Amino acid sequence: MRVTLRQLILNKGEGMQHSSRLKLLLVTAAVLLFGSWQCNAQSQSVISQSQVQQGATGSDWPTYGGTNLFWRYSSLNQINTTNVKKLVPAWIFQTGDYQDALQATPIVVNGVMYVSTARSQVFALDAVTGKLIWQYKHQMLPGFSPPARTKSYGLAVADGKVFLASYDDSLIAFDQKTGHEVWKVAVEDPYTCRCSLSAAAMVVKDKVVVSGGGLRGFVAAFDMKTGREAWRFYSIPGPGEPGNDTWSGDSWKTGAVINWFSGSFDAELNLIYWGTGNAKPDFFGATRKGSNLYSSCIVALEADTGKLRWYYQEVPHDSWDFDSNWEPVLMDRVVKGRMRKLVVHINKGGYSWVLDRVTGEVLSTYPDNEHINWVREVSQSGELIGRHDVVENEPAWLVCPSNLGGKSWNHEAYSPRTTWIYIPMIEMCNDIVARPPILGVPSSGGGIWVMKPPPNHDTAYSHIDAFDPVTGKREWTYQYKYALLASVLATAGDLVFSGDSEGYFFALDAHDGKKLWSFQTGAGNRGSSVTYTAGGRQYVATPTGWGSVSGDIMSVLWTDADKWRLGSTLVAFALPEESK
Amino acid sequence: MSKLSVRFRSVIFSVLLFTPVIVKAQMATEQNLKHGEEIFAQTCTQSYCHGANGAAGGAPKLAGRGLTGDYIERVVTYGISGTPMQAWGQILPLNEVRAVIAYVQSLNGIAPSIRSGPPPVLTGDAAHGRDLFFDPQHSVRCSFCHRVNDRGLPVALAINNVPADATALRNLGTPQVSTAMAGGETFPALLSSKIPSETKIYDLTKFPPVLRTFSPSSVDLKDGSAWKHSQVLGDFSDDELGAILAFLRAAH
Repeated sequence: MRVTLRQLILNKGEGMQHSSRLKLLLVTAAVLLFGSWQCNAQSQSVISQSQVQQGATGSDWPTYGGTNLFWRYSSLNQINTTNVKKLVPAWIFQTGDYQDALQATPIVVNGVMYVSTARSQVFALDAVTGKLIWQYKHQMLPGFSPPARTKSYGLAVADGKVFLASYDDSLIAFDQKTGHEVWKVAVEDPYTCRCSLSAAAMVVKDKVVVSGGGLRGFVAAFDMKTGREAWRFYSIPGPGEPGNDTWSGDSWKTGAVINWFSGSFDAELNLIYWGTGNAKPDFFGATRKGSNLYSSCIVALEADTGKLRWYYQEVPHDSWDFDSNWEPVLMDRVVKGRMRKLVVHINKGGYSWVLDRVTGEVLSTYPDNEHINWVREVSQSGELIGRHDVVENEPAWLVCPSNLGGKSWNHEAYSPRTTWIYIPMIEMCNDIVARPPILGVPSSGGGIWVMKPPPNHDTAYSHIDAFDPVTGKREWTYQYKYALLASVLATAGDLVFSGDSEGYFFALDAHDGKKLWSFQTGAGNRGSSVTYTAGGRQYVATPTGWGSVSGDIMSVLWTDADKWRLGSTLVAFALPEESK
Repeated sequence: MSKLSVRFRSVIFSVLLFTPVIVKAQMATEQNLKHGEEIFAQTCTQSYCHGANGAAGGAPKLAGRGLTGDYIERVVTYGISGTPMQAWGQILPLNEVRAVIAYVQSLNGIAPSIRSGPPPVLTGDAAHGRDLFFDPQHSVRCSFCHRVNDRGLPVALAINNVPADATALRNLGTPQVSTAMAGGETFPALLSSKIPSETKIYDLTKFPPVLRTFSPSSVDLKDGSAWKHSQVLGDFSDDELGAILAFLRAAH
């Protein structure tokens, strides 16, 4: 519809008569009105309008996923498709922590931005000027050996406090105004578990919820005022608990279902939704026979107790490293003529599951990747049909997508205006061969993988797609020749923002995926942009700085990947003062 | 027979005598390298660390880096503090550590050379006690409060006197635990630090302990507390506690 209108306007003849112009304007107005009515009618019939208030952010960006429904969608529209071309940098902040990528989602509350860096440093900034208000330079525990490259995905802010889940396994509460430590609790003993906290803490009512690794993996809640532990849900059930028998022998002790992302929360149902990690050892399933609950699951936990209400396992007995850690997006939509409360969730294997979030019932599934061969298909009721597992003593085979995920952790966004979900996908495969673990060495075994382009392609590639979140119908696609590893942000200005590995932060038209604006930020983009208002002006801020395990591993597939630059910088954009 | 021919015959004899030994040694080296390659694939390339065959992965490339033999031995054995590189000398059996060192050395064109072995590994009761002390599956987590041999969190002071037996451990007094009163709360507390602007105390109400910061005027600390060490020893049996004590003695 938009293309037709644009063509109508663009094709107007130079010598057109006034009467013809009038007719054209009338036709255009009619088409616009009709189109607008049609679009609204469609929106109203498909989504719950009353939910938009809960799902959209306003002047702040108060929580990791925008709101606890995890839409990464803002109701702000001062910056929109008509003026985005004028966007200019308003301020730049260098964190100075250049050890690895800046992968965080900034939190903005009342004109103050809070951000955390790879080495668990915290900065509070004036969101209008980028001026430093306070900083906390975390000292990792002496002799602490991180289990992987250090990282932090962000913070939570509530009750006058800022909450950091530090990479060396502490949950720390700071005074929101001064940055002074209020309390600190060791969530795990990092010297023993060789695990880490990287997911942003999440505030649920009077508690702070974190998730992490260790040999069983957990989601744990702490009292927001005192730091005392309130409950802990282990993602591998202990002896005597339901599900423990889905691990052969003692394999439950070392299954290490690592939960390394934040979840979402439905206040009305009082349920927390969390995606869980895959079973360890990766790829090698012979020593952990069974379905390996609750690995590669979506779990619904009661917010006050952590008690499991329901679970759904997307990949029973995983052998490809396809965990379920990515964001559970909560939306209410009509499915088969009936308004349903949904959780829409993409697995690393490149399929999305649509579940009823009250019961865990599967309502539909659909592929998001173009190259998938680990299953022939996933049925509409969620079964994996035609599995091709990685098996011990078999030669390496090319698994698509790769174990880094058909989508990496970088988040999707959901716009209630277009009613579409915008997902950043990577088309990359890997040769995998399984290797047995060494007895008594928990982190050993699994497999060896070598990144490869998809079959019949010279190289890997990426795309951001607009999908109908229930049917999986692809509405448009934006292709990119390198790696897209930054999150997507959607706004009521009908814009979709993201960034690329070359360092361009860009805006697409939410309706057709056309690129409307871009800016070279000086370093690869691997974080999550946000938008907010302060002093009546809308800002879009993005972290920049290439790096991360996935970023570096992926870069081996492109000969010119050495142009993707490291860094750790926030860049905030706004319209020039005179044109807002 | 000339001296030369005698010498020549000796050489021939030596070659004949030692060739099988040399061949055998070469085979052993090759086997060791093969073993090292296997162990490398099962450990070093896992968890998104080093790439296959020493290529770059999540961790740095190892092949053809010009690394020295000593450096490889030291890093494989002791790890690199503050990085994900573990002290494999503490994790793998000695022969496997040596095989990995030899393999990584071979990736850098170095003939295998080991100067020293990894540090001694605990055995028997002490090893069992160490496993219990750090057991992440146990309801009691000693290492959440005690740091021993560079593992665990130093909430409590270093253990200087190891109790004689399980009974002595159960009855261990905790005079350092006091009672804190702050903002209407009363809780068992362990003082961590006190400076003019702030008092930091561990709140022992629930496990794990919480380090809380107060302004000095907002908290009162009184000697003594109802909190007893026996409360947190949980369901450890006397035998298990005995093993833990054996570990603590060995660690000292």
